[in-house]
Amino acid sequence: MTVPSSHLLILAAILFSIGVAGFFLRRNVIVVLMCIELMLNAANLSFLAASRMHSLDTPGGRIDLQGPIFAIFVIVVAAVEAAVGLALVIALYRRKQTVSLDDVVDLKD
Amino acid sequence: MANALFYLVAALSVIAAAGVVLFRNPISNVLSLLFAFFCLATIYLLAGFQFLAATQILVYAGAIMVLFLFVIMLLNLAPGPNAPELERVGLAMFLRRKSGVTIVIAAALLILGTSAVLGTHDTAVQAAEAMPKKGLDAITATPGSSEGLAGEMFGRYLLPFEAISMLLLATAVAVVVLAKRSRPENS
Repeated sequence: MTVPSSHLLILAAILFSIGVAGFFLRRNVIVVLMCIELMLNAANLSFLAASRMHSLDTPGGRIDLQGPIFAIFVIVVAAVEAAVGLALVIALYRRKQTVSLDDVVDLKD
Repeated sequence: MANALFYLVAALSVIAAAGVVLFRNPISNVLSLLFAFFCLATIYLLAGFQFLAATQILVYAGAIMVLFLFVIMLLNLAPGPNAPELERVGLAMFLRRKSGVTIVIAAALLILGTSAVLGTHDTAVQAAEAMPKKGLDAITATPGSSEGLAGEMFGRYLLPFEAISMLLLATAVAVVVLAKRSRPENS
């Protein structure tokens, strides 16, 4: 693939913006968590694009490994976030029988 | 060939990501996100990150998405006789109070990110950009990229690796405490 790495970064920006929009527009907690996953994936993509930008493909060339390493860490954090977030959703549903953010405004009122 | 495939998959991933925001049924949202993750795994593979592509499918598509589906089915959120009313999406979502601010913020982020990429004049970055990028074609030329990854992971990044294992342990405990049904004598 000879696509310039900047196109990967632009794709990451588009996906991140969609994630931000969904995070604020949707009212279902589970969909909000999915939008966070989408944003973390966009961050991963930009890590990999930066890594690709800084490595040489020629034989014996230096391959930048910081990007992939941090992408793996991001994946682990995303898994942790999903597990804790969904456990909170279950606790919320047990207490209030809802997953809508419109019904969880106790601290705001 | 690989370039055309990249642009095709990139367009599909953007459409799938929009589906996550715009679909009404939570099951459709999950499946849309799953499709976006598969598209991203394809992009990783095309860019030459085979290990990351495999991890993406195993962890995201295999584990996290199943967790989401499991919770949706456990809480009976899919449309059905006893399900709660689905939230209104589409145009109604954008006409809601204060959603204009969100659109502005998201658009500003998009413009900022894109212009930062396009407007960069860093000579080092441009020099790196000029290097040949073979991606998938280079897999045979750089054998054992996961070997190099493992060497870094258990060498230079050993401490973060151990820290993340502590994080996973803490998460396991936290999730059990959060999702556990409280005992009758306590409530």
